[in-house]
Amino acid sequence: MAISAEPTVVLSHLHHTDGSATFSQDGYTVIGAVNGPIEVSRRDELPEEAVVEVTVRPAAGVGGTRERHLESILQATLRQVIFIHNFPRRLIQITLQVTSTPDNDSVGSKIVQASVNLPILPSLLQTSVLTLLSASIPLAMTLTSILLAVTPDGILRSPTIKEIQGANSVHVLAFSSHGELLVAESDGIFTMDVWDDVHTVARRICCVETSANDSMQEDGLEEKAGGIMTFVKSVLQEKVNQDLNWKK
Amino acid sequence: MAADPILLPGDYLDPKVLPSHPSKALKLGPGLLHIPPNSIVSTVAGRLCTDNKKNAVWVEYNSGRYIPVVDDLVIATIHHSATDFYYASISDYSSNAILPNLSFEGASRKSRPQLAPGALVYARITLANKHMDLELECVSASTGKSDGLGPLTGGMVFSVSLAMARRLMLPKPGEQGQLVLLEELGAAGASFEIAVGRNGRVWVDSKSVKSTLAIGNMIQRTDQEGWMVEKQRIMAKRMAKEIS
Repeated sequence: MAISAEPTVVLSHLHHTDGSATFSQDGYTVIGAVNGPIEVSRRDELPEEAVVEVTVRPAAGVGGTRERHLESILQATLRQVIFIHNFPRRLIQITLQVTSTPDNDSVGSKIVQASVNLPILPSLLQTSVLTLLSASIPLAMTLTSILLAVTPDGILRSPTIKEIQGANSVHVLAFSSHGELLVAESDGIFTMDVWDDVHTVARRICCVETSANDSMQEDGLEEKAGGIMTFVKSVLQEKVNQDLNWKK
Repeated sequence: MAADPILLPGDYLDPKVLPSHPSKALKLGPGLLHIPPNSIVSTVAGRLCTDNKKNAVWVEYNSGRYIPVVDDLVIATIHHSATDFYYASISDYSSNAILPNLSFEGASRKSRPQLAPGALVYARITLANKHMDLELECVSASTGKSDGLGPLTGGMVFSVSLAMARRLMLPKPGEQGQLVLLEELGAAGASFEIAVGRNGRVWVDSKSVKSTLAIGNMIQRTDQEGWMVEKQRIMAKRMAKEIS
């Protein structure tokens, strides 16, 4: 595995937005910005809750069907995460710009236009939640997500493009900080038993808070140790400490 | 939980960290949500703060956009006027707040301040309901006095973070907020007027444009670069010498 799976984050680095974050993981880099709650056009407003608008811009070219599909998944998920009832007739606008995707020299990286692009979904979900946290928009929970590929050799975490192409099925799962399943998107051929295994593995990676050398390494699957939740927490701890350095 | 006071959205508060007071009811501040019957959940990422005397608990955090709360003092920009109201903007791209023409000190049908679009007012929020338009006033409804509120003429407005605005408005910014900049500037002989709005706007006026800009920039840099007390003292002295 050439690409480092170690995620990196820069928080609140754009000045003209209410919240922003740049998140890189598995070769994907996404810049996210959020503005809200702001005024919404009369045509779109909802009388009882906030409108959540998500825009995904691909690294090259203009967005198409694939981006609209990702936007619809993100929008439905974020409506569960944000307290939309706190801001009726308002708009929360999230823009996600993909700046780099993993390119693969051994396999043609051109993807068919109409196919779904699940591998990028975890990065988009994670970026949008981090931007919302950076803007301090009231949220019901935080969220962590993971991409797993089921190959003949077993379940792989953070698969490369080549591994994804050779996989029987690819799954994206996201869990809330309370451990509830929020997103389950799958692509490929699999049985219910396989999905159950995937769910168990994903849940362990996303939800369990671990220190670097905890019991996670047992089966070699999580050699890149550490729950994602632990990572999110440490990033925010740093942000809060920096923001409140004046407070004893 | 007590050792790790950083909260993330969705974190349940441990009842042990809550202050207990024999008579007063527990007060929940910003960033907390009560889920009946007896759980308290954080809705933002921040640090938990408690006050045993007031029996209050809240989350301290810095946020992007100002969310209006009743009785907050804000600096609003007049957008346009209608027959009975001025429409004023509290933050960019948010819907306008209404400021009745007569809610100024000594205003009557015959004599009331004429404010052009773009004029600044220092106002108090009187109505902040999520389903209704925001309402402002520049006069205390009970006493009829302005208490320092009203149109701001001259000077300039600077934007700061919401946490900085709160720090500037603390009763004792030096002790509670590690902020001695303004006192040091005053002590070093700089004369200026200042008004701080909870919506992250600071209005500064002084005898020359140069010193107004200098003071405004210092407030912004203190915020962005996180100057601590020592640095604020040094910069304030240097600045006061330059502008006086």
